[in-house]
Amino acid sequence: MLCLLLPQFAAADGPPKNSNYPEGVSAVNPGSELWSAIRQRDGTVLQGTSQVRGVDSGILINARGDQWARFRVSKLANYGGIAIAAVFVILLIFFVIRGQIRIEGGASGNLVRRYTSYERIVHWTLAIVFLLLALTGVILLLGRPLLIPLLGKEVFGLLASASKEGHNLIGPLFLVSLIMMLFSYVRKNLYEKGDLKWLLRGGGVIGKEKLSVGFFNMGEKIWFWLLMLVGLVVAISGLVLLFPNFGQGRFIMEISHVIHSIGALALFCISLGHMYMGSVGMEGALDAMTTGYVDINWADGHHDRWGKECHDKNLVISAEEYARLQGKKPAAGGDVAT
Amino acid sequence: MGSIIFASRKQDLSVARASASAGAIKTIFSRFLPHKEIAAQVSIQYIAGYLFHLGLFALLFFAAPHVLFVEENLLGFGWTPLPHWGFIIAAQAAFLGLIILWLRRMVDPVLRLISTLDDHIAAILTFVVMLTGCFALLEGSTGLRLLHRFTVELWLIYFPFSALMHSFTFLPSRAFTGAWFGRRGVDS
Repeated sequence: MLCLLLPQFAAADGPPKNSNYPEGVSAVNPGSELWSAIRQRDGTVLQGTSQVRGVDSGILINARGDQWARFRVSKLANYGGIAIAAVFVILLIFFVIRGQIRIEGGASGNLVRRYTSYERIVHWTLAIVFLLLALTGVILLLGRPLLIPLLGKEVFGLLASASKEGHNLIGPLFLVSLIMMLFSYVRKNLYEKGDLKWLLRGGGVIGKEKLSVGFFNMGEKIWFWLLMLVGLVVAISGLVLLFPNFGQGRFIMEISHVIHSIGALALFCISLGHMYMGSVGMEGALDAMTTGYVDINWADGHHDRWGKECHDKNLVISAEEYARLQGKKPAAGGDVAT
Repeated sequence: MGSIIFASRKQDLSVARASASAGAIKTIFSRFLPHKEIAAQVSIQYIAGYLFHLGLFALLFFAAPHVLFVEENLLGFGWTPLPHWGFIIAAQAAFLGLIILWLRRMVDPVLRLISTLDDHIAAILTFVVMLTGCFALLEGSTGLRLLHRFTVELWLIYFPFSALMHSFTFLPSRAFTGAWFGRRGVDS
């Protein structure tokens, strides 16, 4: 009789039942206060001591590490991927609406040299290094959610390993190429009268008055300085991550990683616009960086002050002269055979 | 190489004004630096060229995985490899030099005109070998190491039939030019 009564007594006076496990019994973990203190949930930082001498060797658990890991997966990778996809969509919409920006009056066939061989070598060196780093960086950041379903874990493992080593080895070259670029292009990217007006008029989108532009417009100058400054930050944070043997603790490494990733994502997104404008977005733009020469009508239409300078200094050459300089035969119609 | 060195040549019947051998040896070493008159124009070629060649030499013969490979598979003995930081610097120099040299070949109109497919294949294949080597650096992935070894084998097969033979032919080439002009008393 007592045994039959016992469950009722137990139910009436025992500890509260856990609703997830109706059959189980809730009990407070006797070690929970200790582990809560170790996990530093109240915000205090516990610095212990250890026989191992090193940076952060006295820290048992890095409470911030969780925050960083969650930020990387839930916010950085998420929003970074969305930003990249959004830029592609915006460029596609822009191209569908605006189409290719044509040369006013069409190509004349007369050319003027815009970039020297050295300037083009420097540009393409930086471009190749940047694209290699961007590709490997995107694989490292976004590879898990996007590529594992496509390639499987083993192949993705190979790809991620290769990307990590490639990214780390090519990384310092970015700083070197950036410095080469700075010295080659800085003089043409200094502020000139009229640049602020160009910016406030959205490059000519706002208003009907034609804007006067020198060798580079304000948009190009902003891109150059963003690349130099943000690129420098990305390069330096990358070096901090690459060489962790100068006393950097986990906090500095986490911050460096966040700065590196956000800066690199921003640069990549803006560079997509640069690549668009320099290729399909504007007729004649790509020739400047491949052949070094542009049509004089292109120069007069988009960079009128520089175009006038070329006219004044007699720098304009004919298609035949250009072909002779390149060792090519000029095609019919004045177009240069490439 | 044998066909180059032992190729028949027309006998030079003129009276030698100076020593051909001295001219040959002098030219082998003097061509390591550009002539003063054209130094400014060829500076990119020389700087990038040395970056690439010295970097590649350091990688090939002093990278730890390569030294280990030679020890285990070829010679039975090795030598002191580069420290890791030295390897990184050599790799950076080699990559930067090769990229600049290949871009110069594409961008300079004269070089572009005289470049053949062989020149481009040689540059790209060398870059691919270096890149796969860089991917396999972790040494934990058999697949990536196999990829690197495969590209190396492709490179070795292509080597004797291509412009890459300049690695050996530059010596007899400089010597021949130096001897030819040296015999005539001309400083080449």
